[in-house]
Amino acid sequence: MSRSYLFVPGNTPSMIQNLDVFDSDAIIIDLEDSVVLNDKDAARILVSNYLQKLRPDKLEIYIRINDAESRYFLEDVTLLDKTDINGYVLPKASVEAIASLQKITNKDIIPIIESPLAVLHVEAIAKMSQIKGLLLGAEDLTKELGINRTTEGKEILYTRSKIVLACAAFGVDSIDTPYTAKDDHEGLLIDVLHAKTLGFTSKSSIHPNHIELINQAFAPSASEIFEARRIIKKAESSKKGAFSLDGKMIDLPVIERAKKVLDKAKKYNLL
Amino acid sequence: MKYQAGSYESSDCIITVSNSDETIIEIESIVFDQFGDEILNVITKTLQLHNVSNVHVLCKDKGALDYTIKARLETALKRGGYYE
Repeated sequence: MSRSYLFVPGNTPSMIQNLDVFDSDAIIIDLEDSVVLNDKDAARILVSNYLQKLRPDKLEIYIRINDAESRYFLEDVTLLDKTDINGYVLPKASVEAIASLQKITNKDIIPIIESPLAVLHVEAIAKMSQIKGLLLGAEDLTKELGINRTTEGKEILYTRSKIVLACAAFGVDSIDTPYTAKDDHEGLLIDVLHAKTLGFTSKSSIHPNHIELINQAFAPSASEIFEARRIIKKAESSKKGAFSLDGKMIDLPVIERAKKVLDKAKKYNLL
Repeated sequence: MKYQAGSYESSDCIITVSNSDETIIEIESIVFDQFGDEILNVITKTLQLHNVSNVHVLCKDKGALDYTIKARLETALKRGGYYE
């Protein structure tokens, strides 16, 4: 499970050659919206050569290919499926589009939920095979709904909650939409904490300078780790299924949650 | 007819290819003194890899790494139909 997913334009060598310095847990190299139509071939070939020559070892790398209806979809997957990527981010996702992608790759798939129909089908999408997680694309979704995006995000609350529930039910990552105001760190913090409170496992970003805050927010805090350690220690010494700690009832779900906190802390070298 | 790929942005290059009676490689680079031979080597090997000859290659380099030069050359060659 990655905390942060950073979108990087696919036809920009100066960005691509520095993927490992952004500190994002995962990178999404973009061949879709950030690449103009007459450079789709150039971006695809550049990314393929980069991955063959310089792919950073420990970084999760996904490619946002062009959508399944576009003329570039097949060419994107045909060339890049030979490279050592973790999978694909699929824009304009639908059950049918994911099925088309599954026919030509065995790699992981992260569908972008960015249409009203996709929102209605999130459960069906989340339980499909090869799904690594679902990513909310709030800009396109609100465009289709004919509503404005706000910094508070009230207009996407239902969609966010529905995605979180579907992902949790089927054991895949829930990845929140990027916060698009590049220099508004106060707004970003509110947005990130809101996403975490709703239950998202991760957040995507289109700005490298958002990554540090996202990583901090989606990692267990020092107090969460301290508390989890106490719970596990007490659970190991207690012979009861449930016990009391500081006057609070501790039972199996709480112990399991504490284990998850410590697992996550270990993954991000916080222990 | 000339076919082109790349940009003048930092860490990129523009490659232009056109038909020629013989293979000619021209390089203009901000780091020519340090990496001119390496750039020539990448272009030569990429042409050999795709069995392309009798082509004029002009590389205007802004500090591109080797895989970027290879990618831009491959794109220009594909756009010109020099290989599939």
